[in-house]
Amino acid sequence: MKKLAIPFLIFSLAAIIGHWGALKLTPTVIMGKAMHQMNDKGMPFHRFVPSQRITPQTQTVVRPSPDLAYSICLYDFSIIDVPLEIHAGFWKDYGSISFFDEHTNNFATVRIDAKVSKILLSPHGMALPSNRKNGMQYIETPTPRGLILIRRLAPTSQAYDRVSQLANTDKCQPMFDL
Amino acid sequence: MFKALKYFCIVILGLCIGMISALSMSGLIGNNTPANFSDVNVNNWRSDWSIGAPAASPYLRARIARHGLLALSKNEAVYLTRSVDDEDRKLNETCVYELSGTTQDAFWWSITLYDAQSRLPMNDGRALSIDATKISDAQDWSAIISPKRPTNSAKDNKHWVSSLAAGQFDLTMRIYRPSQAVLDAPETHINPPRIRRISCSDGGGT
Repeated sequence: MKKLAIPFLIFSLAAIIGHWGALKLTPTVIMGKAMHQMNDKGMPFHRFVPSQRITPQTQTVVRPSPDLAYSICLYDFSIIDVPLEIHAGFWKDYGSISFFDEHTNNFATVRIDAKVSKILLSPHGMALPSNRKNGMQYIETPTPRGLILIRRLAPTSQAYDRVSQLANTDKCQPMFDL
Repeated sequence: MFKALKYFCIVILGLCIGMISALSMSGLIGNNTPANFSDVNVNNWRSDWSIGAPAASPYLRARIARHGLLALSKNEAVYLTRSVDDEDRKLNETCVYELSGTTQDAFWWSITLYDAQSRLPMNDGRALSIDATKISDAQDWSAIISPKRPTNSAKDNKHWVSSLAAGQFDLTMRIYRPSQAVLDAPETHINPPRIRRISCSDGGGT
């Protein structure tokens, strides 16, 4: 019996580590894979890219809504050392801009159906530029990498076309101190 | 040497069993849908109010990463999923259903059909969802869920949601900007749509 105690203890410890490791890593791995796939398909970092109208043929993530128009900006503060300036154009129907860290946490959401949104995003400790505009909302990202997602209600092709025009004015770009 | 190899195998076995149990418990392996896990259940429309929140359990976070990546936190949107009809039978493409309900206490809502892989089913019906903007009567509405567009749906003022190529499917109801009452007491403030099975081409699912 004593002979089995040490192997059993080692097995149990390894099982606990494997269990919690898998749980902790899964969201980060899935998010990283999704961001990598988007980047591989031509989506650059630090720029909003409007998605095609969601159909079975164009879906890229699980459970997309065919009634919403999406724009995505991937960010990575390990490759830039300045904050990101984010503007999202006002949309009269449902609209929001949501921020996700690399562990899939939705750490901030701002509504864009009341007014134009101007946001400054940076990781903790990064110096903010002196030329930031009045009324700019400051949001701190908990992780250096993540993505920003704009959702606008567009259940018809006409509404989607209007969103597409507006989405071209959305901004997600490094803000340099002048 | 033999002893070291033995312990190495024990460690690998332990890690594998730990990982498999984690993935199974969080619904990443096995025949699971988001509807299998919930802390909110309104007539089989199931959700977890901690979706999107940093405080969510690691099991929920893993599950959402797999089945609902980029979901919003509850103040902005809640997501309820249902995988059975009114008589607790699994939803299946081989059957025709009537989905009916009323409005929700929120800014906007929609109901979308997804296949077992959490994807929109590969069909060209352009009828994957029903949402608040499509409902002319602000109160009661109904829709037919079937692989083929019903011939008399326009006459009956019914909408259509296509289940073609969906196999075994589920429905996700998005409620955007739910009222505080919905968040505080979903069981009494969410109006759960009903799903009545009308007929099946192969005798029905289970």
